[in-house]
Amino acid sequence: MPRVTLETLPDYARFLIAAAEGAAGQFPVRRAVHLPGLELIAHLDPGALADALGQAFIEAEGDPRDSRQCRVFIGHPGIGDMPEPASWGDAHFTEHGFARKLAEAGLRGHHYHDLDFWQVYDPDRRIGVQLMRSPAAFPPWEQGAPLRAFLHWEYAARGMRLAHAGTLGLDGRGVLLAGAGGAGKSGTVVAGLLNGLDSVGDDYVLIDLSGGVTAQPLFSILKQDPPGFARLGLERRLGTDRPLNWQGKHAFHIHEIAPRPVRESLDICALLVPHVSGGKTSSIAPISRKDAIIALAPSGIAQMPGERESGFRFFSDLTRLLPCYRISLGSRPEEIAGTIADFLVRSAR
Amino acid sequence: MPLSDVYAVAGRDIVFESFDGEAVVLDLSNGKYFGFSDSGSKVWQALSSGVGTEELIRSAAARIDAAAIEAFITQLVEFGLLAPSSATPLPSSDDLPAALAAASEPLNVSVHDDLADLILVDPIHEVEEPLGWPAVKQVS
Repeated sequence: MPRVTLETLPDYARFLIAAAEGAAGQFPVRRAVHLPGLELIAHLDPGALADALGQAFIEAEGDPRDSRQCRVFIGHPGIGDMPEPASWGDAHFTEHGFARKLAEAGLRGHHYHDLDFWQVYDPDRRIGVQLMRSPAAFPPWEQGAPLRAFLHWEYAARGMRLAHAGTLGLDGRGVLLAGAGGAGKSGTVVAGLLNGLDSVGDDYVLIDLSGGVTAQPLFSILKQDPPGFARLGLERRLGTDRPLNWQGKHAFHIHEIAPRPVRESLDICALLVPHVSGGKTSSIAPISRKDAIIALAPSGIAQMPGERESGFRFFSDLTRLLPCYRISLGSRPEEIAGTIADFLVRSAR
Repeated sequence: MPLSDVYAVAGRDIVFESFDGEAVVLDLSNGKYFGFSDSGSKVWQALSSGVGTEELIRSAAARIDAAAIEAFITQLVEFGLLAPSSATPLPSSDDLPAALAAASEPLNVSVHDDLADLILVDPIHEVEEPLGWPAVKQVS
């Protein structure tokens, strides 16, 4: 089994891209996904990942002529002359050192050691490779938000960003909900959707700072742990016969509970940091931007490979552009949604 | 630990931003965030821009005692945010004493590392003699 070291990493990344291009005609399936300003063309095998690509995204309806195209080859040694994935050969590995070495060569990448799962991307040529040991040798989170690392690199190269944040909106204006797991972000998004508010997504949304702060949808997946699923009335609405995901959570799609088709974007007017208060009613109070960015940035940066400094600068700019609040969440979903709806109406005046 | 005459940001992995006068520092190498109180932000701003330690202690004398500043600097060095520098100490800005006097919070820096890299320790399970890449095929 070949091993890659920090020294040989850029050459290995280029080797993978060349190998995929050489085998381009032998990938059985071609999937096109239309996202904001981007046509993502994936070449891969039939199977779970191909199915995920057909289900996981909220596709954009804009004119595809306004889109740039990027290509990602999702391969394994069973396709053409695609190589066996290499293992990491240095005694030490840090995500930051790995990303920096590739960035110095104009490349991006990620390596998941347990599976020798590689993702490399050339942002100048907009071409990437995901190399796996076998067709199903991918991390369990890949199906919920497939190819998110490639989207992260491509949009970061354009000065945009995937933010780990939820969204809720009314009449085209919305709020970002930011916070670590367990803070109540996802439950708040579902509560809003079930009570008439819009959302362009939870977990990962695309943020653009040109012309104000806008959020656009990418992924359609929503998740709830079983207690939240029951509390929000989703057992009755969606049933419980689907298998739980790798986190033991119920996974479902935004269109299954949204009151209307998902909007193309929301103009974001505030950053809300949710907090499960234990009280009966919800309330919204200002917090410092310092506290807001510490809620927003760490998960968005740590969950995405590379682009750490640019991410910190981006989320800093985002935080400065928005008023920031803490929302103390009450216990009833409709009351939480009503509090946010009232906030959006008042802030529009 | 004896204090240096002057300090500098500890390396290119230490990046920081200011939000309404409050500093947030990120250590890119490990994903840790550091949030500074208002007085801590003024001290960070001064030290990271090369203001001399003695000058800083003098400027802060009306609001913060020297021992507190020394302990704070020691903490920032231990966190890997500042390192002793051989540069010539710079004078503080004229408004630093007033800014410190106006601060309402004690010197403090909080660490946020819930999501910091979990892979600083070696994640490799079986590194033996690496072949390296590309592996040169042996001619038999």
